[in-house]
Amino acid sequence: MTGKRGAASAPAPAPAIEAWEVFRQEKDGDPMRHGGSVMAPDAELAAHYARELFGRRQESVRLWIVRRGDVVDLDDPDLLQPPLDRSFKKPGGYVMRDKLAAARAASGQAKPKARSR
Amino acid sequence: MTTLALPTLALDGLLRSMADDEFVVGFTDSEWTGIAPLLEEDIAMSSLSQDELGHATALYGLLAELTGGDADGLAYDREPADYRHARLLDHGRGDWALTMARRYVYETADAVRLEALVGGRWSPLADLVAKIVREERYHLMHVEAWLDRLANGGADTHGRLTAALAELGPDAGTVFTPLPDEPALIDAGVLAAPMRDLEDRWRAAIGPTFARLGLPSIPPTIDPDQGRTDHGAAFDWLWSEFTMVRGSDVGATW
Repeated sequence: MTGKRGAASAPAPAPAIEAWEVFRQEKDGDPMRHGGSVMAPDAELAAHYARELFGRRQESVRLWIVRRGDVVDLDDPDLLQPPLDRSFKKPGGYVMRDKLAAARAASGQAKPKARSR
Repeated sequence: MTTLALPTLALDGLLRSMADDEFVVGFTDSEWTGIAPLLEEDIAMSSLSQDELGHATALYGLLAELTGGDADGLAYDREPADYRHARLLDHGRGDWALTMARRYVYETADAVRLEALVGGRWSPLADLVAKIVREERYHLMHVEAWLDRLANGGADTHGRLTAALAELGPDAGTVFTPLPDEPALIDAGVLAAPMRDLEDRWRAAIGPTFARLGLPSIPPTIDPDQGRTDHGAAFDWLWSEFTMVRGSDVGATW
């Protein structure tokens, strides 16, 4: 992807092209979601390319563009997938619904509406 | 709009020059699709070209409302000699440095022209220009980023950029070729200032950038009154390309 077409003489060393992760917000209030990545030599061009790949059809209201090397990467299985049984940390089996309904009735509050998307 | 009679002939000349500029620069730049220096730039360049063709569509649409006909017919059914784009755009695609040099010259000139139209009294054009300006802001950011990188990218890229500017230089000011019946546009409040004044503004605006980047300044325009005619062989070829499909089945509905 760094080939220079039509180069007659030896080109100067090309700047290092690296990956940038792009997060996009579809509309105001939405969470930022990972959209994908672009390759670019610097932050300015990365922003231009992110705009073209993730915003040119007006599908985003905000982009975050992060150099992949700046992302804190955590995939250590000892931290994330420890071998002992941890099922007791999961909330399964503990039913809140009836208790919540009773608490609401006691305080006279209505059930909140689902958050609008 | 005011009670002033519309200077239809002068508006025709103005719209035609702007629409043809956007159409020709957009079509020329679209030739990079598939062969730009990196994949992301390929997509960016194709998208920018589509933007320019979109501006051309809107401007041809205004022209069609004013004088009859339709946008497709205006874009495709004229002979090469009847196009009124600036001679700046008649140099063929060239290498990446030539394309970026041309884009920089054109985008900065177009920005000055648009600024002189945005508050104009003919609201169909003033409203359209207000929208176009917002898209062109990004185009300018994109090409300024490239001009910096080519100028500061070492002897090879600086040399290519300098050579490109030397080739384009004598035609660079042709975006500001005086329009037919230009005083009527100014009297009617459509255009804020004569093209000659806009050219001075443009030269003053880009001068500091060229000085900062160590680039030769733009020379005076050669044969400035013929700046939108006399297009030459490169445009004949481009015209044969962009009329090919429409010409293959005249009158067909696509």
